[in-house]
Amino acid sequence: MNVAFWCSSTPGQIWTWRYTPFLGVWAVAAALVGGYVLAHRRAGRRVDRRLLRRWVLGVLALVVVSEWPIGQLGVGYLATVGIARYIVYTFVAAPLLIAGLPDWLVERWFPAGTRRERVLRSLTYWPIALLIFNAVLIGTHLPVTIDTLKTTQLGSFGVDVLHLAAALTWWWPAMRRAPAEPNAIEEPLRAFYLFASSVLMFVPAAFLTFSPLPLYGLYELAPPLWLGFDPLQDQQSAGIVMNVGGGFVLWGIIASLFLRWAADQQRSDERARRERDAATLERIRALEHDGDPSA
Amino acid sequence: MAEQRSRRVRHTAVRGRIAAALTVVGLLAAACGPSSATAIAADGLERQPDGWHGLPVEHDRSLPEVTLEDVDGDQVDLGKDLLGTPTLLFFGYSSCPDICPIHLAAIGSAMGTAGVTFDELDVVFVSVDPERDTPARIEDFLANFDERMIGLHGELDVVEDALGQLDLGGPVVEGPDPRGEGDLIGHPAQVIGFDADGQARRTWPFGARRSDWVADLPRVVTEWS
Repeated sequence: MNVAFWCSSTPGQIWTWRYTPFLGVWAVAAALVGGYVLAHRRAGRRVDRRLLRRWVLGVLALVVVSEWPIGQLGVGYLATVGIARYIVYTFVAAPLLIAGLPDWLVERWFPAGTRRERVLRSLTYWPIALLIFNAVLIGTHLPVTIDTLKTTQLGSFGVDVLHLAAALTWWWPAMRRAPAEPNAIEEPLRAFYLFASSVLMFVPAAFLTFSPLPLYGLYELAPPLWLGFDPLQDQQSAGIVMNVGGGFVLWGIIASLFLRWAADQQRSDERARRERDAATLERIRALEHDGDPSA
Repeated sequence: MAEQRSRRVRHTAVRGRIAAALTVVGLLAAACGPSSATAIAADGLERQPDGWHGLPVEHDRSLPEVTLEDVDGDQVDLGKDLLGTPTLLFFGYSSCPDICPIHLAAIGSAMGTAGVTFDELDVVFVSVDPERDTPARIEDFLANFDERMIGLHGELDVVEDALGQLDLGGPVVEGPDPRGEGDLIGHPAQVIGFDADGQARRTWPFGARRSDWVADLPRVVTEWS
């Protein structure tokens, strides 16, 4: 059986449906789940099943798109699958991992006042996080990056790590809640933050969709999986996947967050009005009581 | 003092762990290096000093003097019937998993992008696999790229003669196709460009990208007609 560390493009290698395990993927998954459970044991805390489920689902998403066949197809053969991998890393795995982190574990991994915590605070300050996310998005989708780094296992691994790290950084201020997280942002800033990213994501997506020529030599010169599906069509469909995943799905998230915020606002307004009304009634009753000595 | 020492020990331990992890990653990556079947660069062909991307032909060669059959059963004398318009000639086979479909897809697509028509340029595919490549199969194969491409076939000795006239090696069986579709056949990987007089002018090795073809095809039509 062929074994590899991480999925990478091997120019000229004909695609076959023969299983190639990627050992690095299983090692990373084991480290993530094992590290999570071990951290709970060391701290003498019980694992919160709800949080564990989210964490494991995040790890599972990483494994599914990094292991054979999706990892190999995305890195070596089809740009569409390559972009879909990026979307899963960014919009599925990263938010699930953050949602699975208990506050105490963040404090344990990033103790207050340490350099590690200061680095985390600087990177997850929302304008910096926005900048990092978009720099990684653009930088790792440049043809020169793809054609160079994805042809080696270490390069491909590095790009995947960068995608996950950038996505975690980017989701951090939007998902972590104050007061545990000083960098947490709330509506309407959070909606703007996510919206700005979705708009910027349309730039590489537009290049993929509307370029008259294939941008990536790696996919253009890869042995075709089936005849009739041209590398240019593949690239256009990759652009659509980025648009749908990065744009419209994100807009869905923004819309739902915004609606939830609006509903919360309405509820708190109503509560305040009810309290005001109750206080007014109380005052009227008190006045009536004071004005009527027989009462 | 004691605190400083303990901090130093902790940092050394962390550094040690990082170094160990990097070593494991490096060793794994080195140990499980990919086995490359066809070494190609993804950045396409280098632009030549004269602006062409295709490589100049070093020796005088002309269209081979052989007669093959097209998919309709008509005889085609390469040395005579292909004169009058520039020709791109390519030897391959329809079961080819990589070089043939990649070259033909690139040419077909680049012609559309560059605005070059099949009236101005002949694209000729000669099968090196007479056993499997029936006329119908060749026709189906070429229809994936553009049905106006000319598919030719003939007896193996005639095809070998054509290859020999161009100083190209004959087809060789390379072993079983990993997809389980019979044998892989080794064949010349370059496309040869002939001018309207049948003289070989340029070759495009495997690795030529659409951008290379889009740059060269208009010149093929204007300078070689």
